[in-house]
Amino acid sequence: MVSPTMNLSGLVILVADPSSYMSMLIHSMLRGFGNSKVLEVRHSSAVLETLTTQKIDILITDARIPPRGGLLLTRAIRRKEDNENRTVPILVMTSDLRESTVKLARDAGANMVIAKPMSPASLYDRLAWIAFNPRQFVDTANYFGPDRRFKIEGYPGGVGRRKGDKAVEIGAEAGPALAQNDIDSLFSAARVGQDS
Amino acid sequence: MTKETEPDARVFFVDTRFQRLARRGGGISRDQAISQAQAGIEEAGGGFEEWVDAELNELVDLVKSASTGRAAPDWLEAANFRSRQLRDVGTTMGFELLSFVADSLCDLLDSIADGAECNMESVVCHVDALVLSRQERYRHMRPDQVPDLTKGLRRVVKHVST
Repeated sequence: MVSPTMNLSGLVILVADPSSYMSMLIHSMLRGFGNSKVLEVRHSSAVLETLTTQKIDILITDARIPPRGGLLLTRAIRRKEDNENRTVPILVMTSDLRESTVKLARDAGANMVIAKPMSPASLYDRLAWIAFNPRQFVDTANYFGPDRRFKIEGYPGGVGRRKGDKAVEIGAEAGPALAQNDIDSLFSAARVGQDS
Repeated sequence: MTKETEPDARVFFVDTRFQRLARRGGGISRDQAISQAQAGIEEAGGGFEEWVDAELNELVDLVKSASTGRAAPDWLEAANFRSRQLRDVGTTMGFELLSFVADSLCDLLDSIADGAECNMESVVCHVDALVLSRQERYRHMRPDQVPDLTKGLRRVVKHVST
């Protein structure tokens, strides 16, 4: 991931992680990237509350943020029609790197998934990817979020559809862990094409 | 519903404030940003060892309670949370052996949560290894420098999860 210079100054970044120490590390990384407006919360309810009271420029959430997890939180943000932060970029952090989990995050409406544990380089590159690779948004009866269709591979389970997208169940997960490169490829939108 | 009667999706372009502002000029280069972030982590990591000690103590207490049947019903999730924290933070801070053992404990606790037998000896064995990996002699070691320990932990996890 080669990225041009990124300017994060003045942006309001909301970090949702149940671990205060991990939040502090992420905060340090973001400060190193030139950002000084980081808000931290420990629960998904606090995320929703923050989103209703102030403008957030990007949400970085742990997939296991209590009580119901970052994927359901992402879905809740995307599905709430009167939410002015509905299109806010969402970066989901997870140590559960099974392909099924990463796809669930994508299908919930996440812009990108980052593998935990993470380094400054991996965080910087995912933020830059979101900043410099804007995707169209798609609004259907069952999905609202960044365009999930990719030309690099045909995804099973309905992903890639436009009309009649299947509802996504956040449930059982299976399969081996993915490397960050594999995760990136799942999010590497490379097309703007016709509906399937 | 036939294809003809299905409603079309609404597709639209969103240029968020994040994207607009992040692309502005006047930013800092990737190398500089990463270097500054790394320095920030090192500076912030001053209290790391105290934090590890506190987390380990909590974990030891949780497992002791569970071993004696006095644990809260959610002890498994609480223990998993603490071991995940140790793994994630330990890796970011460069404590490889601690992270390896914590990762192995996460696998073990995940297996138990998924229905594997709750073998407390295996859990205690991992917690002992965590305490060991925190000690001065071991804390800067890599997993490949203590092959007996790492193989043993892998064997335990495999045994419990199969």
